[in-house]
Amino acid sequence: MTAITDASVPRPLGRPARNWQPAVTAAVVLVVSLLVLLPLVFLVEESLNVGDALTFPPEAYGISNYIEMFQEDLGILTNTVSIAVMATIMAILIGFTLAWILTRTNVPGRERLERLMELPYYMTPLVGALAWAVLAAPKSGFFNQLWHYIGGPGDIVDVYSMFGIAWIMALFEGTVAFVMISASMKSMDPALEESARVMGASKLRTALTVTLPLVMPGVLGAMLFVFAEMLGSFAAALVIGIPARIYVITTSIWESTLSYPPDYGRAAAMGLALFVVMFGMLTFYRWMVRRGSFATITGKAFRPRAMDMGRLSWLLLGVCLLYIFLAVVLPIGALILTSLQRFATVILSQAEFTFANYRMALGLGPVRTALFNSLTLGFGVASVGVLVMALIVWIIYRSQLRGRGAIEYLVMFPQAVPRMVFGLALLWAWLNIPIPIYGTLWLLALGYFTVMLPLGVRTLAGVVLQIDKSLEECARVCGASWGYQMRSVTLPLLRPGILAAWLLIFMACVRELGVSVFLMGPNAKVIAPSIVSAFASSGTELTAAMALIQTASVVVALIILFRLTRGMTKELA
Amino acid sequence: MTRIELEDLVIRYGDMTAVNGVSFTVNRGEHLTLLGPSGCGKTTTLRAIAGLEQPVSGAIRIDGQPMFDAAARKNVPAEQRGVSMVFQSYAVWPHMSVFDNVAYGLKVRKQSRADIQANVDRALGLVQMRHLADRAASKLSGGQQQRVALARAIAFSPTVVLFDEPLSNLDAKLRAEMRVELRDLQRRLDITSVYVTHDQEEALAISDQVIVMNVGSIEQIGTPEEIYNRPQSRFVADFVGSANILKGRLTGPDTFEAEGGAKLRINTATTARNGAGEVAVRTAYIDLIARPGDNQLLGTVRQRMFHGDFVQYIVECVCGRLIVRRPPTNLLDEGAPVTLSFSPEHTVLLRGEPAS
Amino acid sequence: MKLLAAASLAACALAWTSTASAQEAKLCDKPRQMEGFKTCADVAKAEAEGAFVLYSTDPDAGQAKLLAAFNKAFPKIKTNYVRLQAGALYAKLLSERQAKSYLVDVIQLSDMGMILDFQKRNGFTQYISPEMAAFKKEYKSTPEGYWTWGSIIMAGLATNPKVVPTAEAPKKWEDLLDPKWKDGISVKVSNSGLQHGVWYTLKPILGDDYFKKFAEQKPRAFDSYVQQYGRLVDGQDKVIMGAQYSGYLEFKLKGAPLDFQFPATGAPAVPETYGIVAEGPHPNAAQLFMDWFLSPVGQKALSDALLLHSPRDDVPPPAGGVPLKEMKLLVPADWTAFEKDRPSFAKQWDRIVGARH
Repeated sequence: MTAITDASVPRPLGRPARNWQPAVTAAVVLVVSLLVLLPLVFLVEESLNVGDALTFPPEAYGISNYIEMFQEDLGILTNTVSIAVMATIMAILIGFTLAWILTRTNVPGRERLERLMELPYYMTPLVGALAWAVLAAPKSGFFNQLWHYIGGPGDIVDVYSMFGIAWIMALFEGTVAFVMISASMKSMDPALEESARVMGASKLRTALTVTLPLVMPGVLGAMLFVFAEMLGSFAAALVIGIPARIYVITTSIWESTLSYPPDYGRAAAMGLALFVVMFGMLTFYRWMVRRGSFATITGKAFRPRAMDMGRLSWLLLGVCLLYIFLAVVLPIGALILTSLQRFATVILSQAEFTFANYRMALGLGPVRTALFNSLTLGFGVASVGVLVMALIVWIIYRSQLRGRGAIEYLVMFPQAVPRMVFGLALLWAWLNIPIPIYGTLWLLALGYFTVMLPLGVRTLAGVVLQIDKSLEECARVCGASWGYQMRSVTLPLLRPGILAAWLLIFMACVRELGVSVFLMGPNAKVIAPSIVSAFASSGTELTAAMALIQTASVVVALIILFRLTRGMTKELA
Repeated sequence: MTRIELEDLVIRYGDMTAVNGVSFTVNRGEHLTLLGPSGCGKTTTLRAIAGLEQPVSGAIRIDGQPMFDAAARKNVPAEQRGVSMVFQSYAVWPHMSVFDNVAYGLKVRKQSRADIQANVDRALGLVQMRHLADRAASKLSGGQQQRVALARAIAFSPTVVLFDEPLSNLDAKLRAEMRVELRDLQRRLDITSVYVTHDQEEALAISDQVIVMNVGSIEQIGTPEEIYNRPQSRFVADFVGSANILKGRLTGPDTFEAEGGAKLRINTATTARNGAGEVAVRTAYIDLIARPGDNQLLGTVRQRMFHGDFVQYIVECVCGRLIVRRPPTNLLDEGAPVTLSFSPEHTVLLRGEPAS
Repeated sequence: MKLLAAASLAACALAWTSTASAQEAKLCDKPRQMEGFKTCADVAKAEAEGAFVLYSTDPDAGQAKLLAAFNKAFPKIKTNYVRLQAGALYAKLLSERQAKSYLVDVIQLSDMGMILDFQKRNGFTQYISPEMAAFKKEYKSTPEGYWTWGSIIMAGLATNPKVVPTAEAPKKWEDLLDPKWKDGISVKVSNSGLQHGVWYTLKPILGDDYFKKFAEQKPRAFDSYVQQYGRLVDGQDKVIMGAQYSGYLEFKLKGAPLDFQFPATGAPAVPETYGIVAEGPHPNAAQLFMDWFLSPVGQKALSDALLLHSPRDDVPPPAGGVPLKEMKLLVPADWTAFEKDRPSFAKQWDRIVGARH
């Protein structure tokens, strides 16, 4: 007994460990502020540039860029809003239907289906848009060819329309809406519904008077979020919109920046206009989530009792599978078929099959390099990024630092800036900052990290908030320094969240387009812009092959990763 | 010898003052309990001792060494204070084994592998958990987690252990068992401890000293017996045990006239008498038979409730309705006439509430 | 050939630029004879540099083929490229230079306006290739060595006989104003140098009204001829206005059903101009590339890869192509005026194709 109990033994703490927390915190805050705010400052300055677009700092300032935008580009603004509204409505319908089926009914194979619903996210809108251009183009699209084959007159579908763009955007954003809405459905205490039933309300009445009002904030939140995303979306507008003569803000920014003489002022003004709208919407969204969060999201996941739908449940299963069919199976199938043809443009019945496109795509050194670069960047940014982001999350939610609320706001900033606009801002910033990393992968890495901040921080925050604070405090009281506590307790506990965030960031990096188009150079090529470039100048069949190679590489990378980390995730499951 | 010393400690969260000028000392080997309802500042005070909260003013000293001193702008970080703590949620790290949890503080102190093994063994032995050393912490029951948390807190031979409501998540029976074990362990290890609880029974059972706190301030400091037998304020009388409060006025140095005209002799030994107008009588100290020499009142049983360990009567008398708890023998029927007797020793004059 | 008359005018217009950056450079004393070409470049150094970067407006696949041919001749020099439309490419180049990022060795632009602008900005470095002697004076900068025409591209009208019977295909530029082509015409984006050439040379001939009426046909704009011919073949568009002839040859060779027409008015033509960029990362490799590229060997490789017409008389036309001599080409007469016209062209063309309202 005495060995432990002898109180006269001096406290066995050696020399006090140096406390790195303030220094690390300060460094992180400084770097993040610079990365996030500096580009925007440059963007604002450029939007006020009325002198020579290629001179910086500007020779003359004015607001004529804004005035011109409202005088000349009103049609583009209307296009942008119309498409975003259409796409949002469709995406929410898709998301709500799927969420309801998968959380509230006894549809067969519910858990598997839920996992399946993630697939469209891995497809990426760019690949989806390319595929739907093949599927639903007038005359030559597979649908129309089939229609002609069975003797139908004219065309039945034309993807080159506002509706077509909105449809593609909705199809691939629908999965995001699904995740958000089903989260709010899951976090609802089923007792609330059950008590209505006990009081004598019918199923329908319960749904209308209890379920719907409770889920409404979640749906509205998803709607705002999706709408903001749609305003800034680029891939479908590029692939489908430009051939259809339908320009939106993002494609206009792309055109005015990448042309000579470049109209950076117009691009910057449009970008800021988009930023203001999205910022307003996301602020409103956050405000709503905060206000509403007390009511439904208690942090506790309920396993809602499913309604027995009888035979109807097979129909509901069909609805879910139809979505997967339209968003994954059909596009992949179309791309595979296209990529195997010598000539994508020739009528299907006369198709000649060949692997030449794959040989060509893989034979093109730049494609190989781009793919390799993208995977490397994804790996690097995800690996370093999650650690830094975990630190940021910790600072925001666990430290006593003054002004951590401001940091929270700051890291969410890039979400309010459309990817394209942020790319433009980054381009401007790094063209004028005398650190020679423009045209290198380092700049892409920095850019990716900055725009991935909201995604990573949000994902990690969910996990950090679930970790009991006393687990960390206990380590401190046991005598661990801050660094040792982070290493031995906080980070290991964050592991499942870190893994999830890693995956999301990896995916988002590999598919990144908006920032990449502005920041890549001959020695820093990445895959998504290369696919766009191939789309522009190499023909559909080669583009299809590249898109499939990209998708396949991502899948392979993810499978390897899952294999490697399986033990790690199980242990904590 | 003073082990822990708090001096005029103030802790604020924004505009809210959580702890408002708390001072006390804990002697070596003493077991002190901070008792109070939730939000009274007891946990905040404890966390400030651990270094997990930063006070705005005052000082904390351990073994005479300043751990926090607002005037000297000194604040020793938690990990360098050398105190240990058991958390309300146990805070057993789910990603480690039982052994690793307990060994943590030893590893941090860079003990040799043999020492770590020996100390962990001993600590786990003390809480009868040695056989589970290799189990993953996430696979433990609540009671087992509690024991691991305890073993971890004492494994590195701390001189001061802080307990933050360590038993509040256990069921009643286990709680009672652990209480006994804790008391025993504490005696054997000769540690100094500060214990936080809102359970008055627990506080009285295991402490050498009890501090009753309310809205950030200390209401009363004393031994469990003092707190129970001589509550100084209405809050303490109410919160610790159960008591009848009689309103009235002082009519002499040791006489009190309660509302309804009953004249009582009272215990004034420890009480300030400024503006006092209330006395407290513990429900357990009232007899239902006439006892000569005690304060006596006539009354009628209005309600009887059987609780098992005791029977609670509500008796109507000139002072209003009084609650009386008696052993469950010789049950009285509702409506029965009784004589209430309680000794002047147990008729305690309460401190007047401040004018505000 | 009208082309020549036009080009000599251009040379006059250029006189002032030559004084700005003139320092009479000479061909090196002893050009080294390589396989099929002569060079003044230090081949060893070029190989030591080990890499070469080209920025060009030609489609990815063709560019890759061209560079593969160079890489075959010099396996130690790895090649890389960026492909964008002329305007986009030039904007990118200028941005990079502003950021002091020197990433490219040789640039090809299909817009002479931008080439002259870049020369004014001292963007080119002078290197007189032994092969330049085979190029007419009008095809080179004055003084020579800053830029040289690497090929000449020309535009006409293209249709798909499976969609539009050959007899009904438009023959003249004016035919396109027929309402039956509405929503069925494709053009290139305003970034294209050839499209600027089409606009610049046809406007004075067809009148200001022509493009106003043309706008009402709601043409669709594409980044490259690959997209245009692809859509023509699968029937999404009916006719390409300003169809690039080399694209027609390329698709025809692959077996696509296509008709091509050079209207009697003349075929707008512009050069694809090459020059070595100052402060490029691989200066010796750049010189070696220029020598190889301007020689019959390189010109043949270019014509094989992209079916482009060489400005050299001693290089045959691309497979299946009409020789330059037999075409009636409309080449902008005054490149300085052409350069000045670009901002207004870009804006108006964007309106025609719906990129601006």
